[in-house]
Amino acid sequence: MLLPLLVLVPLGFAATHIATSGKADVGPMQLAAAYVVMMLAAHFALVAAGHRGDPLLLPLVATIGGVGMVMLNRLSPDVGKTAAFGLDLDIATTQVLWFGVGVAAMLAVAIGLRDDRVLRHYKYTWALAGIALLVFTFLFGTEVNGARLWIYLGPIGFQPGEFIKLVLVVFIAGYLAEHRTLLRDAVWRLGPIRIPPLPYLLPMLAIFVIVMLVVVFGKDLGTALLFFGIFLTMLFVATGRRSYVLVGVLLFLAGSFVASRLFEHVARRIDAWVNPFADPSGAGYQTVQSLYAFGRGGLFGEGLGQSLLPTAGGRFFGVETDFIFAVVGEELGAVGAFALLALAMALVFRGLRVAMLARDDFSAMLAVGLTAGLGLQTLIIAAGVVKLIPLTGITFPFVSYGGSSLLASFLIVGLLLAISHRNALAADAEAGRVERGP
Amino acid sequence: MIATNVRRLALYLLLSFAVVSAGLSWWQVIDAPTLEARQDNPEVIVARRTMPRGAIFDAQGTLLASSRLSGGISRRSYTDPAFAHVLGFSSIRFGTSGIERAWDDVLSGRTDPNPLNDIVNDILDRPPTPSDLTLTIDQRLQDFAASQLGGDAGAVVAIDPATGAILAMTSTPAYDATPISGDPDDAPAAYARIQEQAGNPLVDRARQGHYTPGSIMKIVTASAALDSGAITPRTTFADQPQEETEGFVVQGFRVREHDLSPVQPALWAFSEALQVSSNIFFAHVGLEVGTDAYLDYARRFGFCSPLAIGSSPRALSVTASFVTAEQDGDCSEFSDRAELAQAAFGQGRVAVTPVQMALVAATIANDGVMPQPYVVRDVRAHAASASTGPSDRILETYGGGGGTRVVSSQTASQVRRAMVDAVQAPLGRLYAGAGAVSNFGITGVSTAGKTGTAELGPNTPPHSWFIGFVPAQGTAQPAIAVAVIVESGGSGSGRAAPIGGAVMAEWLKLHRN
Repeated sequence: MLLPLLVLVPLGFAATHIATSGKADVGPMQLAAAYVVMMLAAHFALVAAGHRGDPLLLPLVATIGGVGMVMLNRLSPDVGKTAAFGLDLDIATTQVLWFGVGVAAMLAVAIGLRDDRVLRHYKYTWALAGIALLVFTFLFGTEVNGARLWIYLGPIGFQPGEFIKLVLVVFIAGYLAEHRTLLRDAVWRLGPIRIPPLPYLLPMLAIFVIVMLVVVFGKDLGTALLFFGIFLTMLFVATGRRSYVLVGVLLFLAGSFVASRLFEHVARRIDAWVNPFADPSGAGYQTVQSLYAFGRGGLFGEGLGQSLLPTAGGRFFGVETDFIFAVVGEELGAVGAFALLALAMALVFRGLRVAMLARDDFSAMLAVGLTAGLGLQTLIIAAGVVKLIPLTGITFPFVSYGGSSLLASFLIVGLLLAISHRNALAADAEAGRVERGP
Repeated sequence: MIATNVRRLALYLLLSFAVVSAGLSWWQVIDAPTLEARQDNPEVIVARRTMPRGAIFDAQGTLLASSRLSGGISRRSYTDPAFAHVLGFSSIRFGTSGIERAWDDVLSGRTDPNPLNDIVNDILDRPPTPSDLTLTIDQRLQDFAASQLGGDAGAVVAIDPATGAILAMTSTPAYDATPISGDPDDAPAAYARIQEQAGNPLVDRARQGHYTPGSIMKIVTASAALDSGAITPRTTFADQPQEETEGFVVQGFRVREHDLSPVQPALWAFSEALQVSSNIFFAHVGLEVGTDAYLDYARRFGFCSPLAIGSSPRALSVTASFVTAEQDGDCSEFSDRAELAQAAFGQGRVAVTPVQMALVAATIANDGVMPQPYVVRDVRAHAASASTGPSDRILETYGGGGGTRVVSSQTASQVRRAMVDAVQAPLGRLYAGAGAVSNFGITGVSTAGKTGTAELGPNTPPHSWFIGFVPAQGTAQPAIAVAVIVESGGSGSGRAAPIGGAVMAEWLKLHRN
C-alpha cells in the first residue's frame, strides 16, 4: 500500500523543480528520499514487531503527508528559512525532521502501548494536566499574530493546544465510557419538560467553560471550535441523542455571538467572513486572496510551482499553514483538492472502523474522539478556507507546516494503531476459543 | 449501540466532506470567472504588468490604443484624448476604466470571445492570447465633436438610430491617459496632475454627467402624451395664452414662461408650442398625462435605471437618469402635481445623462423603437503590428440587436414632424434654427431637433442642450441622432444647437460618397 508513495513524492519534487527552475532534470531529491525511506521504515518496523493494527492507516497518512511534503517543498523558497531545532533551516527540511519525530512517537505508542489502563484509570489526572497546560499557556505563552498559543522550550516552540486536544479526548472517552448509560437513559422531569440528569452534565459545562476560556484568553477560535466539535461528537456517539448536539451547537452559537459583541478580534473575523470583498485589502485580504487562488486553479490547476498566492502582497502570511489547502487548490486544481479531501475522508473512515471493532467502550470512545479530532480539524480548516464558515487559524493535519500539529496527529495515529492491534488480538482470542471450545 | 452511532457519525462526516467539496467547486469552477475578472486579483495585476494587451481601433481601422513591452513592463499608449473617457485606461497602478475595464478579459486574453475555445485553452494550459477591438466610433467624427466643444465643459453623443452603433461619444475637458498607463512609478504623479486640472477631466460627462435637461425633455413629454392619447396634435388649452403672461398656478406653484420675445403669445397646438418651446403648454400636457403614466413612459425611454452600452458582462454602464427624486437608485413617485408640471418641461427634479437624451432622439428617429446602443463592433485576432492596422481575422462581431418599442410608429412620426418644425418652421427657426444642417453646407436634408436651456438659478448661466437627428424629411431613415450639452453654455440655440447641426452635417459629409 505504500508503493504509490515511492512514485508520488519524488515525482512531485521533480515536477516542482522543473517548473520553477526551467531545467529538465529531477533536482535535489534528498528530502523526498528521506521522507519515503522514513515511511517505509515505519511500515517495516510495524511488521517486524508483529503489529496487527489497521493496515491502511499508515499508507493513508503517508500519502496525505506526501502531498504535504510536495507542497512544502514547493513553498519553501517563498516562505524562507525558519529557526527550528536551534538551526536555520528551510521549512521543507524542518518538516521532514518533524515527520521523523512524529513517526518515532507513533511507533512508540503503537508498539509500546500494550495496555490502555494508563490512559483509562488516570483520566482525571490527564484532565488536570491538560488544564494546567492550558493555564500555563495563558500565563506564560508567547503571543503570535494576536493569539497566545505558543510555549518556547529553548529553541523549540510548540503549541500546547495540539496536545490538550489529545488529553481532552482521553478524559472524555474515560468519562463517557463510565457514565454512558446514565447519560443516555436517565431523565429528569421538570414539569412537562424532559431534561437530562444535570449532575452528569457538569463535565459538559466544564468543557464549555474551558472552551470559552480558550476563545477569550487564547484568542484561538479554531482550537475552541475543534474542542467543542470533538466533545459533541463523542457525546453523540456515546448516547445517540441528537438533542445534546443540538443544545451544544446552540450554546456554541450563543457563546460566539456574545464573544463577537465583547471582543473585537472575533467580530473582525466574522465580518471578514460575511463579506470579505467589502475590505479586500484589509480585514478580508486573506480570504479574498485565497478565494482568488482557488479561482485561478480551476478544475485542473495551474501546475506545481505556479501558485501566485505565496507571493501575493510580497509574502502571503500563513500560506504554509492555514492556507496550504488554497495552494493545493490553485496548483493541483479542484481535482487535486478533491483527491486530498477524499484521502482525509478515507483516513477518517478507517479510524471509525477501528472504533466499531473495538472490544470495550473506552477503546471505542477513544478511537471515535481521536478520529473526530483529525476529521473535524480537516473539515474546519478546509471549510474556513473555502468560506463556508469563518476562517480560523488551524492546521490541515499531515499537510500544513508545523511540528506540534504533526506530532499530535502522529500520536493520534499511534493510538489508533494500538487500539486496532488489541482489537485484532481480541478477535483472534475469541476465534481461538470458539475453535478450541468443547 | 456505539457501533450504530459511529455509523451515523460516518454518514454525517461524509455529508460534511461533501458540503466542503461543493464549496470548493463553487470557487474553483462556478464562480472562478467572476473572481478572475476582479481588479485586485494578482493574476489580473500580473497580467496587466507584464503581458501584451490587445489594441483598440476606430471604425476606420485607425489605431487608438496599443501596448508595448519595455523594461519588462507593459506600457499602454493612447493616440487621441477625445477617446479618453470611452476607452478609459489600463494602468498597472490604478486598474482599468471604460472599455479597457469592460473588455479587460478579451484585451488581456484571459477569456476567449468564444467560450468553447476557453475550455480548450484551459485544458491545454495555453498562455492567454490577447485580442484587438474595433469600435463603432469614427475618429473623424469624434475629433470633430471634441473640437466643436472646444475649451468648454460638455459632451457630445451621436448614435446611428437604426442600429444603436455609437458614432461619437466624447466628453470635455479630456485628458491624456498614456502617462498613467505607463511606468507604475510615474503614474501617481501623472494621475494627481489630471485630478488637479480644472473641470474634473476624469469624469465622463457623456455617461456620468447628471444635468437638468430643460426643454429637450418636452420630447419625452410629447411622446408620452401623444402615445397615451392624453393629447392629439390639435389639442389646445384655452387658458394657455393668458397664462403665458400671468403664469399658470399648479397647487400653489406658479409656472412661468421663458422669455418668448419676439414671439407674441397665442393659442398654440402641439407643433407651435414645441417651436416656441412653451413651458405653459407642456406643463398642461404633463398634467394631462398624469403622474403614473408619465413615470411609466419615462421608464420605457430608459429613465430611472442605469443604461448599458453593449451587453452584459462586457457592458459600459451609464448612470441612471431620473425624472423625480432618486430613491434607492430608482425614481420615486411624484411628490405632487406641481413637480410633474415642472418635470414636463425639464425642470424640477429631472436629472439626465447625455447618453440618455441621445437615445430619446434616436428613438423618435427610429420610428419609436429605442435601439440597443453598442460601441464595440468586433473582436479581432491580435494585429502583428498595431501601427499597420487591424488584423483581417474577425473572431466575433457585435450588433445592437433588437431594440425596444417605446412609442407607436404614429406617435414617433408626429413628434418627428414637430421636431422638424422646431428647427425649420418660421417660429421654430427663431429658437433652434442654428441646429439645421443646412447651415453647414448640407442641402436637401431636413433636420429634426429641439433645444434646451436648463435653468440652474439666478446666478448661474444655464446649460445649453440640443438633441436632434438627420435626415428627417418624409419617411427618410435618419442616419445620425445626437445629444449635445455645453455646461453653462447659455441658451440652447446659442451654443449647443450649432454644435449639434455641425456634427450631424459632418457625418453626412463623411458618408456622402
